[in-house]
Amino acid sequence: MKVVTGVVGNDIHVVANRLIDLSLQARGFEVFNLGVNTYLEEFFDAVIETGADVLLISSLNGEAEGWGREVPLLKAKYKKLDDVIMMIGGNLVVGTGNAEDIVPRYEGYGFDIVCHQVDLNTGLDSLEAMIKERHLEVRNN
Amino acid sequence: MSLLQEEREIILNNEFVDTFDFSEVADFVKNASKDLFISHHFKNQKKMLVQPRGGFPTYKKQFALYEFFVDANVDVLPLTIDSNTRLNDYATSKKMLRLSEENDVDMLNGYPLVNHGYRTTRKMITHFNKPVSLRHGTPDARLLIETAIASGIFEIEGGPITYLLPYSKNFPLDKAFLYWKYVERVCANYSQLNEPINRESFGPLTATLVPPSITIVIQLLEMLLSLEEGVKSFSVSFAQQGSMNQDIVTGAVLKKLAKFYAAEINCSDAAINLVYHQWMGAFPMNKNYAEQLISISTVIASMVGADKIITKTREEASGIPTKEANAKTVANTQYSLGILNGLPNVVDEEEEEILTLEVKAIMEAVFNDPADTLWRKVFNSIKNGIIDVPFSPHIINHNNMITIRDAKKNIRIIKRGNVPIPDRCYAYEKGQCDLTKDTTSIVNDIIHDIGIMQ
Repeated sequence: MKVVTGVVGNDIHVVANRLIDLSLQARGFEVFNLGVNTYLEEFFDAVIETGADVLLISSLNGEAEGWGREVPLLKAKYKKLDDVIMMIGGNLVVGTGNAEDIVPRYEGYGFDIVCHQVDLNTGLDSLEAMIKERHLEVRNN
Repeated sequence: MSLLQEEREIILNNEFVDTFDFSEVADFVKNASKDLFISHHFKNQKKMLVQPRGGFPTYKKQFALYEFFVDANVDVLPLTIDSNTRLNDYATSKKMLRLSEENDVDMLNGYPLVNHGYRTTRKMITHFNKPVSLRHGTPDARLLIETAIASGIFEIEGGPITYLLPYSKNFPLDKAFLYWKYVERVCANYSQLNEPINRESFGPLTATLVPPSITIVIQLLEMLLSLEEGVKSFSVSFAQQGSMNQDIVTGAVLKKLAKFYAAEINCSDAAINLVYHQWMGAFPMNKNYAEQLISISTVIASMVGADKIITKTREEASGIPTKEANAKTVANTQYSLGILNGLPNVVDEEEEEILTLEVKAIMEAVFNDPADTLWRKVFNSIKNGIIDVPFSPHIINHNNMITIRDAKKNIRIIKRGNVPIPDRCYAYEKGQCDLTKDTTSIVNDIIHDIGIMQ
């Protein structure tokens, strides 16, 4: 199973990005990590290019808020993205906010899994649960 | 006219520079007070020099910060540059400087030196008559360092590797090498007029589980790149790693090998100094704990035998520190240094041997690259993963090396990637760690190891 991941926008916080990469690999995913400072178009292009099943976007400085709004419009321009599991996690607001407000907002942008300040493994567990739900098989290597 | 002088005229003929007077600047450096040169202090010092960090947008606030530092008995003043200037965006820093001046709100995270210009800044530097260290993070620092030296700032931090790999995703590394070659040459030329200009490398890198072998290799390579251009005073540096023993071993090996490799290129006449950074990783939010961490850092710096210590503040976790907090840390560190007497001499021969073998193996692999110049050899070695910096955001970095802490909190390499760590050393490093765990628990350990001081 292929995952495209990276940190959205002008965010250069790299530590969690590397840890997400390692953890996904440990769980048997094939990871295409675009690293920090990645724009939305680059994410979608990479999903098409690799034929990924999952797009996992992360954010630490909260820039995702601004970019999230662009997702529905941009996603509509691409074909074949309907079956891709869209996940976003990290610090999803600039400043502070609570998950009850944030999660529905991002679901409205088209994300299937929204993890605001959620522990990495808890987040990846919910990804695996959704994959199972969708009857997809995780390839273990 | 030399090629370098032609390039200098192009760089300084910039819309943001108010006519650069080459001969006036050379005269100023030639007749400048020895007190402004940190190289002069290193030569005559009797104690570890204390240097804080700090930069404010306006002249007024920077001046006030320096007054606080001088009251706190500072040895070396910092001039930290704002992020727009670091990216050569002088138009934005100019606008933000004006907004900061008009509204009394800081719109920049440092001092926009190019916009203030050397004529203005020199007044402040010569007024305090203390050595000033330029702290930035600029891949193309040509205009910035010309302005700095003309202002009386005679220590320049940074380097093509240490200012790029931790800070940038895709600024071309080969360009950074060439831009820094210019910096080295300008520093070398000015060094002939008075005391030497000191260059300092930025050892902390990503400050995230970087093993000492990688830190030392990069320190040595930036030192060699600088000395081969004629720089006569150079500081190698590293940051607190989390284990006192590992810090002492790192300091000892770094000092020894810096002398060794400088002699290899016939540069033994250059002065080599050791700089220690107080903990550069994530700080505790609790300000009292932060103060404890800072004083422990000072103890270790003394054990390491550093020539200069660069301080943090109790407000590290919450943002840019106030001048009060910043001055307080200087006074506290001076106090700690004053009472640290009769320190034991700790030598760990086994660890020193392992680390020396690792560094020499990587250095040899770099020198064996077929390229014709050192900077190209280093460039290729980063490109092919012989040098791999954990947690660098740069696309050229391999990210195949994995490190973790052992039970004594030493940073150990558990996956070497393409880095030519000798088999014996690799087995030793892995032998210190519990590798029976599954990858998910190792990732959890890494997360814990990064936040060790929080």
